[in-house]
Amino acid sequence: MAKDRLNEVLERYEAVIGLEIHTELTSLNSKMFCGCPVEFGGEPNTRVCPVCLGMPGALPVPNQAAVEATVLAGLALECEIARFSQFHRKNYFYPDMPKNYQISQYDLPFCAHGHLDVEVGEGDAAYVTRIGITRIHLEEDTGKMIHVGGSEGRIAGADHSLVDFNRAGTPLIELVTEPDIRTPEEARRFAQTLRTIFLALGISDCSMEEGSMRVDANVSIRPRGAVELGTKAEVKNMNSFKALHDALAYEIVRQADLVDAGGRVVQETRHWDAAAKRTSALRSKEEAHDYRYFPEPDMVPFEFTEEWIAAIRERLPELPAARRDRYVQTFGLPKHDARLIAEDVPLAQFFEQAVDAAGAKLAKPVANWVLGELSAHLNATGAAVGSCGITPEMLAELVVLVDEGTISGKQAKEVFAEMAESGDMPAAIVERRGMRQVSDTGAIEAVVVKVLAEHPAEVESYRSGKSGLIGWFVGQVMREMRGQANPAVVNEVLKQHLDQ
Amino acid sequence: MAEPRRIVDMTGAQIADAIARKELSAREAAEAALAEIEALEPRVHAFNQVTPELALQAAERIDAMVASGESLPPLAGVPVAIKDNMNLIGTRTTCSSRILENYESVYTCTAVERLLAAGAVPVGKCNMDEFAFGSSTENSAFGPTRNPWDLERVPGGSSGGSAAAVAARMAAVSLGSDTGGSIRQPGALTGTVAVKPTYGRVSRYGLVAFASSLDQIGPFARTVEDAAAVLQAIAGKDPMDATSVDEPVPDYRAGLEAGVEGLRVGLVTDMLEMEGCAGEVRAAVENAARVLADLGAEVGEVELPMSRHGLSAYYVIGPAEASSNLARFDGIRYGHRVKDAEDVLDLYMRSRAEGFGPETIRRVMLGTYALSAGYYEAYYGQAQKTRTLIIREFADAFERFDVLLTPTSPTVAFGIGEKASDPLAMYLSDVYTIPLNLAGLPGISVPVALCSESGLPIGAQIAARHFDEATMFRAAAALERALGLDMTPPLVAERQR
Ligand SMILES: [Zn+2]
Repeated sequence: MAKDRLNEVLERYEAVIGLEIHTELTSLNSKMFCGCPVEFGGEPNTRVCPVCLGMPGALPVPNQAAVEATVLAGLALECEIARFSQFHRKNYFYPDMPKNYQISQYDLPFCAHGHLDVEVGEGDAAYVTRIGITRIHLEEDTGKMIHVGGSEGRIAGADHSLVDFNRAGTPLIELVTEPDIRTPEEARRFAQTLRTIFLALGISDCSMEEGSMRVDANVSIRPRGAVELGTKAEVKNMNSFKALHDALAYEIVRQADLVDAGGRVVQETRHWDAAAKRTSALRSKEEAHDYRYFPEPDMVPFEFTEEWIAAIRERLPELPAARRDRYVQTFGLPKHDARLIAEDVPLAQFFEQAVDAAGAKLAKPVANWVLGELSAHLNATGAAVGSCGITPEMLAELVVLVDEGTISGKQAKEVFAEMAESGDMPAAIVERRGMRQVSDTGAIEAVVVKVLAEHPAEVESYRSGKSGLIGWFVGQVMREMRGQANPAVVNEVLKQHLDQ
Repeated sequence: MAEPRRIVDMTGAQIADAIARKELSAREAAEAALAEIEALEPRVHAFNQVTPELALQAAERIDAMVASGESLPPLAGVPVAIKDNMNLIGTRTTCSSRILENYESVYTCTAVERLLAAGAVPVGKCNMDEFAFGSSTENSAFGPTRNPWDLERVPGGSSGGSAAAVAARMAAVSLGSDTGGSIRQPGALTGTVAVKPTYGRVSRYGLVAFASSLDQIGPFARTVEDAAAVLQAIAGKDPMDATSVDEPVPDYRAGLEAGVEGLRVGLVTDMLEMEGCAGEVRAAVENAARVLADLGAEVGEVELPMSRHGLSAYYVIGPAEASSNLARFDGIRYGHRVKDAEDVLDLYMRSRAEGFGPETIRRVMLGTYALSAGYYEAYYGQAQKTRTLIIREFADAFERFDVLLTPTSPTVAFGIGEKASDPLAMYLSDVYTIPLNLAGLPGISVPVALCSESGLPIGAQIAARHFDEATMFRAAAALERALGLDMTPPLVAERQR
């Protein structure tokens, strides 16, 4: 869809978007209410027990670490933490739900009334928008249905269905935003920023592809200046940040076209088809659901003390925005570079360790190497920063070698390639390959004297005004020294001799 | 107590003692119980499943311990029957329902596991009202259990099988579950000692839930001492049940002889005056109060006017929780499933309609309605408020008294079929027991008389403060000693001859 079309629509209509984001707490050791491990995939129904299968008589016991992770997320997003909270049962029948109720939270979520400041756009067009967070609560995930015999695994036309309960009972936090989002780009940036925070908190791997982070959106439009909200549609099945953006852009234009043509937006759930690049209404058996929420009697309510909340707050790590600001202020990194590193927890750790080893004054070249050669290497090999064979100490040593003039920048790139291959320290590689750059003035001077003696005509031309010849002299000296001379020193010594 | 005539007439304590002294083997005790079951079961129908293999295996382990001189656990060799809503590996757990008719336990209930670890020998799984919905054990998909005192009468319910098994001496002790009186009421109707512990005292893990906020597992026995010993074995915090409480478990048997001198006993007068309370029941409870006073207790009177609203609150909260707890019986993963379902909705609806009996369907519908949007506040919300008021009323009463004395059931055992078509009359059977469940308090039913007319047992209920089962047992034991009743049902007397 043309971007112009969306912009044109957004000139006349204001989009009102709220997000509902489910994130699996994948970093926990066990499920929400039993001891089964939390992992992605695996043979169906191999990570199950009487509790997460809803066998008769089995009881849920809340995973304390999941409660703490939820409160940690709430604190990171400036939420108020409930002093009294509890789980409720959400009752509805579905085969992927072993108990036919989901243990969730209702009117007493752990966290409420938070916000997240999101930076949108680049350069002069950049702005910050504050998105309110209505609530964050904890619940259990369902199992997975596998529909057999239909098209593309969809339920329509399927002959029968199978259920895999490996995912059932995985701790899931649900975050609901206020309808404060106005553009698809703001929605994308919110989700991306949230992801970097959850990654920094270490509570989830936040993989939209594997479904450990799932974003649904409520979208409506209203004429610019109007106060009353339009009828909203809920959009589901957006499996990437791009899909989130594109689905919302499509949906806003669809609603505008409908209203422009005199039609009416219907409240419904719509499915994003990334291949067809369109949303379509789900086969609607939209009965108004009555979930018959009531307090979960198998558990006692939670009463959080100030001390307990303070102890969780102690565990808050430095968040990406604060880290980025520190990189700008302390190391003088450009804001864009600082953000790229700060939002990637392993990369930021690597960067900081390398800066520790190289010294803070070399933070800028370290950042350049991290975002340049190192990132390119990671992309090319698909390796994770922690296991790519290059350590922060190796990179720091390389940056120092360049800074001290031991090798040139060009040589450094060769050394990087070799250390990525061999895992050897850069100094050892420089030594082995005889790359050590000559900065010894005496050795260079001897070659300079020899070169000048061999080319009296060029010396004459230079001295009579063709100062551009200096580069040619440098080249001659470098060739004599097989490229190992420090070009700055060569330049200086040449000038001393030519200008005398 | 008279010298036991047969092995099955021995109490649990006597059996464990005799085994320790090598006067009896665990195998002999198990075989005697199994033989008694074989003889009486066709007439009583206390069991859904008899487990001779499990019993003999357990007995052999005890005998091996005796032979090797190991120290024996407290209930070594004591035959125990288990209500069929508790999971035990190697048995079906049916809850007396068609929907679970062939359901094999995949793990063992914590309370059962603890009881077996204490040396008890499991002889079978007991009949009950389907999913514990009832007060007569007539709501079983597998037919009613009969009262050993009069085979034409009900044993009470829902733990009627567990009560009848102990009364008929097919087991020395048994486990039941009590949500609104399902242990104490059948205890009263069968002349057995029956205990509902404090909510949280015994783990519910492995007990198929009826109403999670009310359910507790507890013992039936023929003596207070045996009941105390069984609770001793099963009580205590369980990491698998978040509502079980980490309170120390005192030695219940140690205080049984201490008497009631100075104990403050509150006779709940408005309960005695309640319409529907049979004259002989009232007289028997008043007599029990006098006996306690004679033993040195300070008996006073107290009224609990809020408690009469307990029944209404209970019939909202119980079904509400049950409607959700029973949702898992859907024919998808286990249990009864229709063969020719058209789609998943059809599979749910017909599997449940075929699998559940009429009382279960009534409660599920009642509870679903009570939780529905627009009705929640009027029903569930109101019931919870009533519950809070009842809790406060008891708290006030326990400022003045150490234990409270009430009837257990307003009547003696009624005839099979007598109340089957009148659910409200049936629900009234639990009017004295329900308030304790709502308040989470412990209660014990002890036999206090035999009806002069019918010869049927009458029970009194003694309630105590939260986690103060020790005081409750002490008062019950004093009453038991002072009354010295012979609680031998005619059926048992016939077998003894
Ligand atoms: Zn599990």
